[in-house]
Amino acid sequence: MKDLQFAIVLCAAGFAARGQDLNGIWQALNTAAWDLQDHTGQLGVPPGQGVVEGNEIPYMPWAAAKKKENFASRKTADPAEANCYLPGVPRATYMPYPFEIVQTPKLVAMRYEFAHATRNIPMDGSPHPDGLPGAWMGDSRGRWDGKTLVVDVSNFNDQTWFDGAGNFHSDMLHVVERYTPIDSSHITYEATIEDPKVFTKPWKISMPLYRIVDPKATLLEYECVFYLQEEKFKAAPFRK
Amino acid sequence: MFKFLAALSIAAVVSGQARTPDGQPDIQGMYTRNGVVGLEAKPPTNPIDPSGNNPLSVSNRGDGLGPYPGIFGQGGSVLRTAGRQQRRTGIVDPADKNLPWRPEEDAKRRDFLLHMNPPVDLRHVELNARCTLPGLFQGEDGNNPYQFLQRAGSVVILYDYNHTSRIIHLDGRPHLGKDIRLFMGDSIGRWEGNTLIVDTTNFNDRTSYSREIPYLSDSLHTTERFTIADANTIDYEVTIDDPKLFTAPWKTAGYFTRVPKGVESLEFACAEGSQTLLNIFGKPPEAR
Repeated sequence: MKDLQFAIVLCAAGFAARGQDLNGIWQALNTAAWDLQDHTGQLGVPPGQGVVEGNEIPYMPWAAAKKKENFASRKTADPAEANCYLPGVPRATYMPYPFEIVQTPKLVAMRYEFAHATRNIPMDGSPHPDGLPGAWMGDSRGRWDGKTLVVDVSNFNDQTWFDGAGNFHSDMLHVVERYTPIDSSHITYEATIEDPKVFTKPWKISMPLYRIVDPKATLLEYECVFYLQEEKFKAAPFRK
Repeated sequence: MFKFLAALSIAAVVSGQARTPDGQPDIQGMYTRNGVVGLEAKPPTNPIDPSGNNPLSVSNRGDGLGPYPGIFGQGGSVLRTAGRQQRRTGIVDPADKNLPWRPEEDAKRRDFLLHMNPPVDLRHVELNARCTLPGLFQGEDGNNPYQFLQRAGSVVILYDYNHTSRIIHLDGRPHLGKDIRLFMGDSIGRWEGNTLIVDTTNFNDRTSYSREIPYLSDSLHTTERFTIADANTIDYEVTIDDPKLFTAPWKTAGYFTRVPKGVESLEFACAEGSQTLLNIFGKPPEAR
Protein backbone atom coordinates (compact mmCIF):
# COMPACT_ATOMS: atom_id res chain seq x y z
CA MET A 1 0.00 0.00 0.00
CA LYS A 2 2.90 2.38 0.80
CA ASP A 3 4.40 1.83 -2.66
CA LEU A 4 1.06 2.57 -4.25
CA GLN A 5 0.75 5.78 -2.24
CA PHE A 6 4.25 6.81 -3.27
CA ALA A 7 3.46 6.12 -6.93
CA ILE A 8 0.29 8.19 -6.67
CA VAL A 9 2.18 11.11 -5.09
CA LEU A 10 4.70 10.93 -7.95
CA CYS A 11 1.87 10.98 -10.48
CA ALA A 12 0.29 14.01 -8.85
CA ALA A 13 3.64 15.82 -8.75
CA GLY A 14 4.23 14.96 -12.41
CA PHE A 15 0.84 16.39 -13.32
CA ALA A 16 1.71 19.66 -11.59
CA ALA A 17 5.15 19.82 -13.26
CA ARG A 18 3.72 19.67 -16.78
CA GLY A 19 3.29 23.41 -16.65
CA GLN A 20 1.77 26.24 -14.72
CA ASP A 21 -1.91 26.04 -13.93
CA LEU A 22 -3.52 28.47 -16.37
CA ASN A 23 -7.05 27.23 -15.63
CA GLY A 24 -9.50 30.04 -15.14
CA ILE A 25 -11.09 33.11 -16.68
CA TRP A 26 -8.82 35.82 -18.16
CA GLN A 27 -9.23 39.13 -19.90
CA ALA A 28 -7.05 41.74 -21.55
CA LEU A 29 -7.56 45.26 -20.23
CA ASN A 30 -6.46 47.40 -23.12
CA THR A 31 -7.76 48.85 -26.40
CA ALA A 32 -6.05 46.44 -28.81
CA ALA A 33 -9.40 45.18 -30.07
CA TRP A 34 -10.09 48.66 -31.48
CA ASP A 35 -6.57 49.33 -32.73
CA LEU A 36 -3.32 47.43 -32.11
CA GLN A 37 -1.30 50.60 -32.55
CA ASP A 38 -1.11 53.88 -30.64
CA HIS A 39 -4.33 55.80 -31.21
CA THR A 40 -6.29 58.83 -30.02
CA GLY A 41 -9.84 58.49 -28.77
CA GLN A 42 -12.81 58.84 -31.15
CA LEU A 43 -16.54 58.45 -30.69
CA GLY A 44 -16.95 54.87 -29.48
CA VAL A 45 -13.21 54.17 -29.57
CA PRO A 46 -11.30 54.37 -26.29
CA PRO A 47 -7.80 55.86 -26.68
CA GLY A 48 -4.85 53.61 -26.12
CA GLN A 49 -1.19 52.90 -26.28
CA GLY A 50 -0.35 50.23 -28.83
CA VAL A 51 0.62 46.64 -28.17
CA VAL A 52 2.85 46.24 -31.25
CA GLU A 53 6.56 46.06 -30.48
CA GLY A 54 8.00 49.26 -32.03
CA ASN A 55 4.41 50.35 -32.92
CA GLU A 56 4.93 49.84 -36.69
CA ILE A 57 3.40 46.94 -38.63
CA PRO A 58 5.68 46.00 -41.57
CA TYR A 59 3.11 45.94 -44.38
CA MET A 60 4.13 45.47 -47.99
CA PRO A 61 3.15 48.60 -49.97
CA TRP A 62 -0.01 47.05 -51.51
CA ALA A 63 -1.04 45.79 -48.07
CA ALA A 64 -0.55 49.21 -46.44
CA ALA A 65 -3.00 50.59 -49.02
CA LYS A 66 -5.45 47.76 -48.31
CA LYS A 67 -5.24 48.46 -44.58
CA LYS A 68 -6.23 52.09 -45.27
CA GLU A 69 -9.25 50.91 -47.29
CA ASN A 70 -10.23 48.57 -44.47
CA PHE A 71 -9.98 51.44 -41.98
CA ALA A 72 -12.23 53.61 -44.12
CA SER A 73 -14.93 50.92 -44.36
CA ARG A 74 -14.52 49.53 -40.85
CA LYS A 75 -18.02 50.41 -39.63
CA THR A 76 -19.55 47.81 -41.96
CA ALA A 77 -16.53 45.71 -42.94
CA ASP A 78 -15.05 44.75 -39.57
CA PRO A 79 -15.61 40.97 -39.61
CA ALA A 80 -15.98 40.68 -35.83
CA GLU A 81 -17.60 43.89 -34.58
CA ALA A 82 -19.81 44.67 -37.59
CA ASN A 83 -20.56 41.13 -38.77
CA CYS A 84 -20.19 38.98 -35.66
CA TYR A 85 -17.88 36.49 -37.35
CA LEU A 86 -15.40 34.41 -35.38
CA PRO A 87 -12.66 36.82 -34.29
CA GLY A 88 -9.59 34.78 -35.28
CA VAL A 89 -6.27 34.59 -33.44
CA PRO A 90 -4.81 36.59 -31.76
CA ARG A 91 -7.83 38.97 -31.77
CA ALA A 92 -9.96 36.55 -29.73
CA THR A 93 -7.53 36.99 -26.84
CA TYR A 94 -7.97 40.75 -26.52
CA MET A 95 -11.60 41.24 -27.51
CA PRO A 96 -13.21 43.21 -24.67
CA TYR A 97 -14.82 40.04 -23.30
CA PRO A 98 -13.44 37.39 -20.94
CA PHE A 99 -12.20 33.99 -22.06
CA GLU A 100 -11.55 30.78 -20.20
CA ILE A 101 -8.58 28.43 -20.32
CA VAL A 102 -9.46 24.80 -19.64
CA GLN A 103 -6.18 23.01 -19.07
CA THR A 104 -5.80 19.24 -19.12
CA PRO A 105 -2.63 17.25 -19.80
CA LYS A 106 -3.60 16.16 -23.32
CA LEU A 107 -5.68 19.10 -24.45
CA VAL A 108 -5.95 22.77 -23.59
CA ALA A 109 -9.24 24.33 -24.62
CA MET A 110 -10.05 28.02 -24.83
CA ARG A 111 -13.61 29.27 -24.60
CA TYR A 112 -14.33 32.87 -25.53
CA GLU A 113 -17.43 34.75 -24.42
CA PHE A 114 -17.56 36.67 -27.73
CA ALA A 115 -19.58 34.65 -30.27
CA HIS A 116 -19.00 31.48 -28.20
CA ALA A 117 -15.74 30.96 -30.06
CA THR A 118 -13.62 28.00 -28.97
CA ARG A 119 -10.19 26.57 -29.68
CA ASN A 120 -8.97 23.04 -29.10
CA ILE A 121 -5.21 22.91 -28.54
CA PRO A 122 -3.81 19.37 -28.61
CA MET A 123 -0.74 19.03 -26.34
CA ASP A 124 0.33 15.62 -27.66
CA GLY A 125 3.03 16.78 -30.06
CA SER A 126 0.84 16.16 -33.10
CA PRO A 127 1.52 18.27 -36.22
CA HIS A 128 -0.91 20.59 -38.01
CA PRO A 129 -3.03 18.42 -40.30
CA ASP A 130 -2.58 18.76 -44.05
CA GLY A 131 -5.23 19.45 -46.61
CA LEU A 132 -7.91 21.12 -44.50
CA PRO A 133 -9.72 24.25 -45.63
CA GLY A 134 -8.54 27.42 -43.88
CA ALA A 135 -10.31 28.08 -40.59
CA TRP A 136 -11.48 31.30 -38.90
CA MET A 137 -9.67 30.36 -35.68
CA GLY A 138 -6.86 28.45 -37.42
CA ASP A 139 -5.46 25.13 -36.25
CA SER A 140 -3.68 25.23 -32.88
CA ARG A 141 -1.01 22.88 -31.52
CA GLY A 142 0.50 23.47 -28.08
CA ARG A 143 3.52 22.58 -25.99
CA TRP A 144 5.07 23.64 -22.70
CA ASP A 145 8.33 25.59 -22.68
CA GLY A 146 9.03 25.57 -18.95
CA LYS A 147 6.18 27.55 -17.43
CA THR A 148 5.14 28.99 -20.79
CA LEU A 149 2.30 27.61 -22.88
CA VAL A 150 3.42 27.93 -26.51
CA VAL A 151 0.74 27.60 -29.18
CA ASP A 152 1.54 27.36 -32.87
CA VAL A 153 -1.43 28.44 -34.98
CA SER A 154 -1.71 28.08 -38.76
CA ASN A 155 -4.24 26.96 -41.38
CA PHE A 156 -6.14 30.25 -41.26
CA ASN A 157 -8.53 31.64 -43.84
CA ASP A 158 -8.01 35.24 -45.03
CA GLN A 159 -11.26 36.62 -43.56
CA THR A 160 -10.42 37.94 -40.08
CA TRP A 161 -8.87 41.21 -38.95
CA PHE A 162 -6.45 41.76 -36.07
CA ASP A 163 -8.46 44.72 -34.77
CA GLY A 164 -11.23 47.20 -35.55
CA ALA A 165 -8.81 49.47 -37.44
CA GLY A 166 -8.51 47.17 -40.43
CA ASN A 167 -5.21 45.44 -39.70
CA PHE A 168 -5.41 42.22 -41.70
CA HIS A 169 -3.63 39.13 -42.99
CA SER A 170 -3.83 36.47 -45.68
CA ASP A 171 -4.33 32.71 -45.54
CA MET A 172 -0.54 32.42 -45.10
CA LEU A 173 -0.83 33.78 -41.55
CA HIS A 174 1.21 31.94 -38.95
CA VAL A 175 0.94 32.94 -35.29
CA VAL A 176 3.05 31.72 -32.39
CA GLU A 177 1.51 32.59 -29.04
CA ARG A 178 3.30 32.47 -25.70
CA TYR A 179 1.32 32.51 -22.44
CA THR A 180 3.83 33.08 -19.63
CA PRO A 181 2.49 33.29 -16.07
CA ILE A 182 3.93 36.20 -14.06
CA ASP A 183 2.12 35.17 -10.88
CA SER A 184 -1.08 33.25 -10.17
CA SER A 185 -3.27 36.09 -11.49
CA HIS A 186 -1.28 37.55 -14.39
CA ILE A 187 -0.03 36.22 -17.71
CA THR A 188 2.27 37.90 -20.21
CA TYR A 189 0.73 37.20 -23.61
CA GLU A 190 2.93 37.47 -26.67
CA ALA A 191 2.05 36.68 -30.27
CA THR A 192 4.54 36.62 -33.12
CA ILE A 193 2.82 37.19 -36.44
CA GLU A 194 4.19 36.24 -39.83
CA ASP A 195 2.54 36.28 -43.22
CA PRO A 196 4.85 36.39 -46.24
CA LYS A 197 2.00 37.57 -48.52
CA VAL A 198 1.27 40.68 -46.42
CA PHE A 199 4.23 41.60 -44.21
CA THR A 200 7.91 42.16 -45.06
CA LYS A 201 9.00 40.52 -41.81
CA PRO A 202 7.51 38.95 -38.66
CA TRP A 203 6.23 41.32 -35.97
CA LYS A 204 5.13 40.93 -32.41
CA ILE A 205 2.47 42.06 -29.97
CA SER A 206 2.53 41.65 -26.21
CA MET A 207 0.24 42.54 -23.32
CA PRO A 208 -0.67 41.39 -19.83
CA LEU A 209 -3.75 39.23 -19.27
CA TYR A 210 -5.58 39.51 -15.96
CA ARG A 211 -7.29 36.68 -14.11
CA ILE A 212 -10.91 37.37 -13.16
CA VAL A 213 -10.51 36.56 -9.48
CA ASP A 214 -14.18 36.92 -8.52
CA PRO A 215 -15.02 33.40 -7.23
CA LYS A 216 -18.50 33.56 -8.78
CA ALA A 217 -17.17 34.40 -12.24
CA THR A 218 -18.37 32.19 -15.09
CA LEU A 219 -18.49 32.84 -18.82
CA LEU A 220 -21.87 34.10 -19.94
CA GLU A 221 -23.04 34.38 -23.56
CA TYR A 222 -22.46 37.25 -25.98
CA GLU A 223 -24.48 35.89 -28.91
CA CYS A 224 -23.47 38.51 -31.42
CA VAL A 225 -24.97 36.71 -34.43
CA PHE A 226 -28.35 36.33 -32.75
CA TYR A 227 -28.49 39.99 -31.66
CA LEU A 228 -27.51 41.16 -35.15
CA GLN A 229 -30.22 39.01 -36.74
CA GLU A 230 -32.80 40.34 -34.30
CA GLU A 231 -31.86 43.86 -35.34
CA LYS A 232 -31.57 43.36 -39.11
CA PHE A 233 -34.55 41.07 -39.60
CA LYS A 234 -36.98 42.35 -36.98
CA ALA A 235 -39.31 43.68 -39.70
CA ALA A 236 -38.92 40.62 -41.97
CA PRO A 237 -40.18 39.43 -44.37
CA PHE A 238 -39.17 42.21 -46.75
CA ARG A 239 -40.81 42.80 -50.12
CA LYS A 240 -38.31 42.02 -52.85
CA MET B 1 -3.36 17.33 -0.03
CA PHE B 2 -1.42 14.41 -1.47
CA LYS B 3 -2.71 12.15 1.27
CA PHE B 4 -6.22 13.19 0.38
CA LEU B 5 -5.57 12.48 -3.31
CA ALA B 6 -3.94 9.18 -2.44
CA ALA B 7 -6.92 8.12 -0.36
CA LEU B 8 -9.30 8.98 -3.17
CA SER B 9 -7.15 7.22 -5.72
CA ILE B 10 -6.86 4.09 -3.61
CA ALA B 11 -10.63 4.02 -3.26
CA ALA B 12 -10.79 4.35 -7.03
CA VAL B 13 -8.36 1.48 -7.57
CA VAL B 14 -10.41 -0.69 -5.24
CA SER B 15 -13.65 0.13 -7.05
CA GLY B 16 -12.04 -0.32 -10.48
CA GLN B 17 -13.06 3.16 -11.65
CA ALA B 18 -10.49 5.49 -13.21
CA ARG B 19 -10.30 8.86 -11.44
CA THR B 20 -9.06 12.32 -12.24
CA PRO B 21 -6.36 13.81 -9.94
CA ASP B 22 -9.06 15.58 -7.89
CA GLY B 23 -10.99 12.34 -7.42
CA GLN B 24 -13.82 12.59 -9.95
CA PRO B 25 -14.78 9.48 -11.90
CA ASP B 26 -12.95 9.95 -15.22
CA ILE B 27 -15.50 10.70 -17.95
CA GLN B 28 -13.03 12.39 -20.31
CA GLY B 29 -12.84 11.65 -23.99
CA MET B 30 -14.53 12.29 -27.31
CA TYR B 31 -17.94 10.80 -27.93
CA THR B 32 -20.84 10.97 -30.34
CA ARG B 33 -24.33 11.37 -28.93
CA ASN B 34 -27.25 9.23 -30.00
CA GLY B 35 -30.97 9.00 -29.49
CA VAL B 36 -31.64 12.00 -27.25
CA VAL B 37 -34.16 13.65 -29.54
CA GLY B 38 -37.21 11.44 -30.04
CA LEU B 39 -40.81 11.63 -31.21
CA GLU B 40 -43.94 11.91 -29.13
CA ALA B 41 -46.76 9.38 -29.39
CA LYS B 42 -48.81 11.71 -31.60
CA PRO B 43 -46.34 14.11 -33.16
CA PRO B 44 -47.71 17.17 -34.93
CA THR B 45 -47.57 17.61 -38.67
CA ASN B 46 -44.09 18.95 -39.15
CA PRO B 47 -43.50 21.15 -42.17
CA ILE B 48 -39.79 21.57 -41.49
CA ASP B 49 -38.89 17.89 -41.70
CA PRO B 50 -36.78 17.84 -44.87
CA SER B 51 -37.35 14.19 -45.57
CA GLY B 52 -38.31 13.56 -49.18
CA ASN B 53 -41.75 12.15 -48.47
CA ASN B 54 -43.02 15.13 -46.49
CA PRO B 55 -45.61 16.86 -48.72
CA LEU B 56 -45.52 20.00 -46.56
CA SER B 57 -41.80 20.48 -46.84
CA VAL B 58 -40.43 23.14 -49.14
CA SER B 59 -36.89 22.35 -48.05
CA ASN B 60 -36.24 19.90 -50.82
CA ARG B 61 -35.55 22.31 -53.64
CA GLY B 62 -33.25 21.00 -56.33
CA ASP B 63 -30.94 24.00 -56.01
CA GLY B 64 -30.29 23.27 -52.34
CA LEU B 65 -31.41 26.77 -51.34
CA GLY B 66 -34.46 25.78 -49.32
CA PRO B 67 -34.74 27.58 -46.02
CA TYR B 68 -33.58 24.62 -44.00
CA PRO B 69 -30.50 22.73 -45.07
CA GLY B 70 -31.05 18.99 -44.92
CA ILE B 71 -28.06 18.47 -42.63
CA PHE B 72 -29.87 19.80 -39.58
CA GLY B 73 -31.43 17.03 -37.57
CA GLN B 74 -30.15 14.36 -39.92
CA GLY B 75 -27.98 12.42 -37.48
CA GLY B 76 -25.33 10.60 -39.46
CA SER B 77 -23.70 7.32 -38.71
CA VAL B 78 -20.08 7.49 -39.84
CA LEU B 79 -18.68 7.65 -36.32
CA ARG B 80 -21.29 5.48 -34.68
CA THR B 81 -19.86 2.30 -33.27
CA ALA B 82 -21.54 -0.70 -34.79
CA GLY B 83 -23.05 -3.41 -32.67
CA ARG B 84 -23.90 -1.40 -29.55
CA GLN B 85 -26.29 -3.17 -27.29
CA GLN B 86 -29.79 -1.74 -27.26
CA ARG B 87 -29.92 1.34 -25.00
CA ARG B 88 -32.76 3.62 -23.88
CA THR B 89 -33.39 6.43 -26.37
CA GLY B 90 -35.91 9.18 -27.00
CA ILE B 91 -38.85 9.91 -24.72
CA VAL B 92 -38.77 7.32 -21.92
CA ASP B 93 -41.16 8.84 -19.39
CA PRO B 94 -44.10 8.72 -19.76
CA ALA B 95 -43.68 5.22 -21.20
CA ASP B 96 -46.49 5.75 -23.72
CA LYS B 97 -44.71 8.93 -24.99
CA ASN B 98 -47.84 11.04 -24.50
CA LEU B 99 -46.28 14.22 -23.15
CA PRO B 100 -48.09 16.10 -20.37
CA TRP B 101 -48.75 19.19 -22.51
CA ARG B 102 -50.93 21.96 -21.25
CA PRO B 103 -53.63 21.67 -23.95
CA GLU B 104 -53.51 25.35 -24.90
CA GLU B 105 -49.70 25.24 -25.19
CA ASP B 106 -49.83 22.09 -27.34
CA ALA B 107 -52.29 23.85 -29.65
CA LYS B 108 -50.03 26.91 -29.79
CA ARG B 109 -46.93 24.98 -30.81
CA ARG B 110 -48.86 22.97 -33.44
CA ASP B 111 -49.97 26.25 -34.92
CA PHE B 112 -46.46 27.70 -34.59
CA LEU B 113 -45.06 24.80 -36.63
CA LEU B 114 -47.45 25.53 -39.48
CA HIS B 115 -45.91 29.00 -39.80
CA MET B 116 -42.30 27.83 -39.93
CA ASN B 117 -41.96 26.78 -43.55
CA PRO B 118 -41.76 29.23 -45.09
CA PRO B 119 -41.29 31.24 -41.90
CA VAL B 120 -43.75 34.10 -41.50
CA ASP B 121 -41.25 36.13 -39.49
CA LEU B 122 -37.90 35.84 -37.72
CA ARG B 123 -39.44 34.26 -34.63
CA HIS B 124 -40.62 31.33 -36.77
CA VAL B 125 -37.21 30.47 -38.23
CA GLU B 126 -35.83 27.21 -36.92
CA LEU B 127 -33.23 28.15 -34.30
CA ASN B 128 -30.52 25.84 -35.67
CA ALA B 129 -30.83 27.57 -39.03
CA ARG B 130 -29.93 30.84 -37.28
CA CYS B 131 -26.70 29.36 -35.89
CA THR B 132 -27.67 30.14 -32.32
CA LEU B 133 -26.26 28.13 -29.44
CA PRO B 134 -28.25 24.87 -29.52
CA GLY B 135 -29.36 24.46 -25.92
CA LEU B 136 -29.04 21.02 -24.39
CA PHE B 137 -30.92 18.99 -26.99
CA GLN B 138 -30.19 20.29 -30.47
CA GLY B 139 -26.40 19.92 -30.44
CA GLU B 140 -26.88 16.93 -32.70
CA ASP B 141 -27.35 13.21 -32.42
CA GLY B 142 -25.01 11.66 -34.91
CA ASN B 143 -21.64 12.59 -36.28
CA ASN B 144 -20.46 15.83 -34.71
CA PRO B 145 -18.58 14.71 -31.61
CA TYR B 146 -18.61 15.99 -28.03
CA GLN B 147 -15.40 16.22 -26.03
CA PHE B 148 -15.59 15.89 -22.25
CA LEU B 149 -12.80 17.56 -20.24
CA GLN B 150 -12.37 17.53 -16.48
CA ARG B 151 -10.39 19.57 -14.01
CA ALA B 152 -10.74 20.36 -10.33
CA GLY B 153 -14.18 21.85 -9.77
CA SER B 154 -15.75 21.46 -13.19
CA VAL B 155 -16.58 19.36 -16.21
CA VAL B 156 -16.40 21.10 -19.60
CA ILE B 157 -18.10 19.74 -22.71
CA LEU B 158 -16.86 21.00 -26.07
CA TYR B 159 -19.24 20.33 -28.95
CA ASP B 160 -18.07 20.03 -32.50
CA TYR B 161 -21.48 21.43 -33.46
CA ASN B 162 -21.31 25.20 -33.96
CA HIS B 163 -18.22 25.44 -31.67
CA THR B 164 -20.53 25.23 -28.68
CA SER B 165 -19.21 24.59 -25.20
CA ARG B 166 -20.70 24.34 -21.73
CA ILE B 167 -19.27 24.26 -18.24
CA ILE B 168 -20.73 22.29 -15.35
CA HIS B 169 -19.60 23.74 -12.04
CA LEU B 170 -18.96 21.20 -9.27
CA ASP B 171 -17.87 23.69 -6.61
CA GLY B 172 -21.24 24.03 -4.92
CA ARG B 173 -21.93 27.58 -6.12
CA PRO B 174 -25.55 28.73 -6.40
CA HIS B 175 -27.31 29.35 -9.73
CA LEU B 176 -27.03 32.75 -11.42
CA GLY B 177 -29.53 35.49 -10.68
CA LYS B 178 -32.87 35.06 -12.44
CA ASP B 179 -32.39 38.00 -14.81
CA ILE B 180 -29.41 36.34 -16.54
CA ARG B 181 -30.80 34.17 -19.34
CA LEU B 182 -28.72 31.82 -21.47
CA PHE B 183 -29.14 29.51 -24.45
CA MET B 184 -27.09 26.85 -22.66
CA GLY B 185 -28.46 27.58 -19.20
CA ASP B 186 -26.46 27.66 -15.97
CA SER B 187 -25.28 24.18 -14.95
CA ILE B 188 -24.40 23.01 -11.45
CA GLY B 189 -23.35 19.39 -11.02
CA ARG B 190 -22.33 16.73 -8.54
CA TRP B 191 -21.11 13.17 -8.73
CA GLU B 192 -23.13 10.36 -7.20
CA GLY B 193 -21.11 7.19 -7.72
CA ASN B 194 -20.49 6.89 -11.45
CA THR B 195 -23.26 9.34 -12.31
CA LEU B 196 -22.77 13.05 -12.93
CA ILE B 197 -26.02 14.79 -12.01
CA VAL B 198 -26.45 18.25 -13.52
CA ASP B 199 -29.08 20.80 -12.55
CA THR B 200 -29.57 23.54 -15.14
CA THR B 201 -31.68 26.70 -14.94
CA ASN B 202 -31.55 30.27 -16.32
CA PHE B 203 -32.54 29.22 -19.84
CA ASN B 204 -33.86 31.83 -22.23
CA ASP B 205 -36.97 30.95 -24.23
CA ARG B 206 -34.92 30.31 -27.38
CA THR B 207 -34.01 26.66 -27.18
CA SER B 208 -35.87 23.71 -28.60
CA TYR B 209 -36.19 20.00 -27.96
CA SER B 210 -36.74 18.82 -31.52
CA ARG B 211 -38.22 19.81 -34.87
CA GLU B 212 -41.63 18.92 -33.44
CA ILE B 213 -41.11 20.84 -30.19
CA PRO B 214 -39.57 23.99 -31.67
CA TYR B 215 -39.31 25.96 -28.46
CA LEU B 216 -39.17 25.46 -24.72
CA SER B 217 -39.93 28.25 -22.28
CA ASP B 218 -37.81 30.25 -19.86
CA SER B 219 -39.31 28.19 -17.02
CA LEU B 220 -37.30 25.19 -18.28
CA HIS B 221 -35.37 23.36 -15.58
CA THR B 222 -33.42 20.26 -16.55
CA THR B 223 -31.84 17.50 -14.50
CA GLU B 224 -29.34 15.49 -16.53
CA ARG B 225 -27.78 12.19 -15.51
CA PHE B 226 -24.53 11.16 -17.24
CA THR B 227 -23.76 7.60 -16.10
CA ILE B 228 -20.46 5.96 -17.00
CA ALA B 229 -21.77 2.58 -18.20
CA ASP B 230 -18.52 1.13 -19.48
CA ALA B 231 -15.17 2.32 -20.84
CA ASN B 232 -16.78 3.44 -24.10
CA THR B 233 -20.33 4.40 -23.16
CA ILE B 234 -22.10 7.07 -21.16
CA ASP B 235 -25.82 6.57 -20.58
CA TYR B 236 -27.70 9.86 -20.59
CA GLU B 237 -31.10 10.80 -19.21
CA VAL B 238 -32.68 14.24 -18.90
CA THR B 239 -35.70 15.27 -16.87
CA ILE B 240 -37.41 18.17 -18.61
CA ASP B 241 -39.44 20.29 -16.23
CA ASP B 242 -41.05 23.23 -17.99
CA PRO B 243 -44.17 24.20 -16.03
CA LYS B 244 -45.23 26.92 -18.50
CA LEU B 245 -45.66 24.27 -21.22
CA PHE B 246 -46.22 20.99 -19.35
CA THR B 247 -48.23 19.95 -16.31
CA ALA B 248 -45.55 17.49 -15.18
CA PRO B 249 -41.87 16.72 -15.85
CA TRP B 250 -40.99 14.18 -18.55
CA LYS B 251 -37.82 12.35 -19.46
CA THR B 252 -35.75 11.73 -22.55
CA ALA B 253 -32.75 9.40 -22.81
CA GLY B 254 -29.85 8.60 -25.08
CA TYR B 255 -26.22 7.64 -24.88
CA PHE B 256 -22.72 8.76 -25.76
CA THR B 257 -20.32 6.39 -27.54
CA ARG B 258 -16.56 6.92 -27.52
CA VAL B 259 -15.21 7.64 -31.01
CA PRO B 260 -12.23 5.78 -32.48
CA LYS B 261 -8.77 7.11 -31.59
CA GLY B 262 -7.43 9.80 -33.88
CA VAL B 263 -10.71 11.67 -34.43
CA GLU B 264 -10.26 15.42 -33.89
CA SER B 265 -12.82 18.18 -33.76
CA LEU B 266 -12.62 20.56 -36.72
CA GLU B 267 -13.96 24.09 -36.92
CA PHE B 268 -17.74 24.24 -37.41
CA ALA B 269 -18.24 27.85 -38.50
CA CYS B 270 -21.99 28.32 -38.88
CA ALA B 271 -23.01 31.97 -39.14
CA GLU B 272 -20.01 33.08 -41.18
CA GLY B 273 -21.25 33.61 -44.71
CA SER B 274 -24.66 32.06 -44.02
CA GLN B 275 -27.27 33.26 -46.53
CA THR B 276 -30.19 31.55 -44.81
CA LEU B 277 -32.09 34.61 -43.60
CA LEU B 278 -31.45 36.54 -46.82
CA ASN B 279 -32.79 33.59 -48.82
CA ILE B 280 -35.90 33.40 -46.66
CA PHE B 281 -36.72 37.08 -46.21
CA GLY B 282 -34.85 39.06 -48.83
CA LYS B 283 -32.49 41.91 -48.06
CA PRO B 284 -33.21 44.25 -45.15
CA PRO B 285 -33.98 47.72 -46.57
CA GLU B 286 -30.87 49.43 -45.15
CA ALA B 287 -28.62 46.88 -46.87
CA ARG B 288 -30.11 47.35 -50.34
